[in-house]
Amino acid sequence: MAGVAVVLLYLIEGAALIALAAAAAAAWHKRTQTQARDAALARDAAHAAALAQAEARHAAQQEEAAREQGTLAAQIESLRAELAQRKSVADALEAALEGERALRDEAMQRAGRIASEASRLKLMSSTFERWHEQMISLMAQNSDMHKKNHELSSIVSHVLIVSLNASIEAARAGAAGRGFSIVAGEVRALATRSQELSKSYRDSLNRNDLITAATFQDIQAGGKMIAASLASVESASNQLHTQLEAARSGAHA
Amino acid sequence: MIGTHAKDSIERIFFAAARTRLVTDQQHACDIAPRPGVAAQGEHLVVLTISSMQFRLLLLLHFEDDERTRRYYVGDAARTLTECFMEFGNLCCGAMNQQLVEHFPDLGMSTPYALSSGCLPYLRELKPDSVQSYAITIDREVRIGATLCVCTQTPLDFVASLAAIEAHDSAGELELF
Repeated sequence: MAGVAVVLLYLIEGAALIALAAAAAAAWHKRTQTQARDAALARDAAHAAALAQAEARHAAQQEEAAREQGTLAAQIESLRAELAQRKSVADALEAALEGERALRDEAMQRAGRIASEASRLKLMSSTFERWHEQMISLMAQNSDMHKKNHELSSIVSHVLIVSLNASIEAARAGAAGRGFSIVAGEVRALATRSQELSKSYRDSLNRNDLITAATFQDIQAGGKMIAASLASVESASNQLHTQLEAARSGAHA
Repeated sequence: MIGTHAKDSIERIFFAAARTRLVTDQQHACDIAPRPGVAAQGEHLVVLTISSMQFRLLLLLHFEDDERTRRYYVGDAARTLTECFMEFGNLCCGAMNQQLVEHFPDLGMSTPYALSSGCLPYLRELKPDSVQSYAITIDREVRIGATLCVCTQTPLDFVASLAAIEAHDSAGELELF
C-alpha cells in the first residue's frame, strides 16, 4: 500500500509535474503564441508604418517630381522665350551688320573716288606749267619792248642833239637860216615830246612787268598750294580706304 | 587789313630768314635797317611770292650789279649775278615760307623772277595793305635792299613765336621746297 501510495505519490507527483510541465508548456506555448502574435502584430505595425512611410515618401517624391516637372516646364518655357528673344536680337544685329557692311562698302568706294579725283586734279600742274610758259613768253615780249623803247629813246635823244645843233647852225646862218631855225625848233619839240612819250612807255612797261610777274607768281604759288592740299586729301582718302579695307578683311576673317 | 602783330611777325620772320639765307657764310654779319619809301637800292630786282587763301606776300630784293656784290654772291662761278642772287632769294623766301606755314597750313611759294627795279614804284597797283623797305648790309660791305609787300583778302593778324623763329634760325636745315 505504501508502495502504491508511493507509486501513487510518484504518480501524483509525476502527474503534477506533468501537469505542471503541461501548464508550463501551455503557458510557454501561450506566451510563445502571444509573443509570436505580438511579434506578428509588431511586424504588421512596422510593415504598416513602413508602408505608410513609403507611401508618404512616394507621395512626397511624386509631389517633388511634379514640382520639379513644373519648374522644368517653366524653365523650358522661359528658355524658349529667351531663345526667341535672342534670335530676334541676333536677326536685328545681323540686319544692322549687313547695313553697316553696305555703308562701309559705299564709304570705301567714295574714299577711293575721292583719292582718284585728287590724284587726277594733281595733273593740273601741267596747266600751271602752261601758264608759266606763257608768262615767260609774255615777259620776253615785254623785255623786247623794253629794248625797242630803249633804242627809240636813244634815237630820240640823238634827234634832240641833232635838232639842237641845227638850231645853232641856223642861228649862225643869220637871216638866211631863220626858216631852218623854225624847222629845227619844231624837230626839237617833236624829239622832246617823243622822249617824254618814250619815258611814259618805259614806265608803262615797268608797271606791266610788275603786275604780270606778281599775278603770275600769285597763280603759280596758289597752284602749289592747291596741289599740296590735293596731295593731302589724296593721302587722307587712301588712308581711309586702307583702314576700311583692313576692317572688312578683319570682319571676314 | 593787316594787324600790327602780323606786320611785326612777318618782319621778324624776314629778319631771321635774311640773316641765315642771304649770307654766303653763317658767320657773316647781316645788318637790316628799315627805311622809308619804296625807292630801289640797285638797278636789279628779284621778286618772289608766297600765297595763301588769306593773303599774298611779295619779297622784292633789289641790288646793284657792282664788283662787291658780284664778288660776294658769284665768286668765281661762271654765272650772272642775277642768276646767283635768285638762288639766295629763293632760299630766303623758302625760310619765310617754312615759318609762315606754321600759322597758315595752306601756303604756296612761287619761283623767283628777275625784273628791273624801275618796277618797284608800281607795287601800289597791287593795292597792298603794307609795304616796308629795308636796307641790308652784309659782311659790312655788300649793300642790298629788300621790300616786303603784303596784300590781304581778309583781316590778317597773328603772332609768330620768337622761340620757334630762333629755333628754326639756329637749326640751319636745308630747305626743301
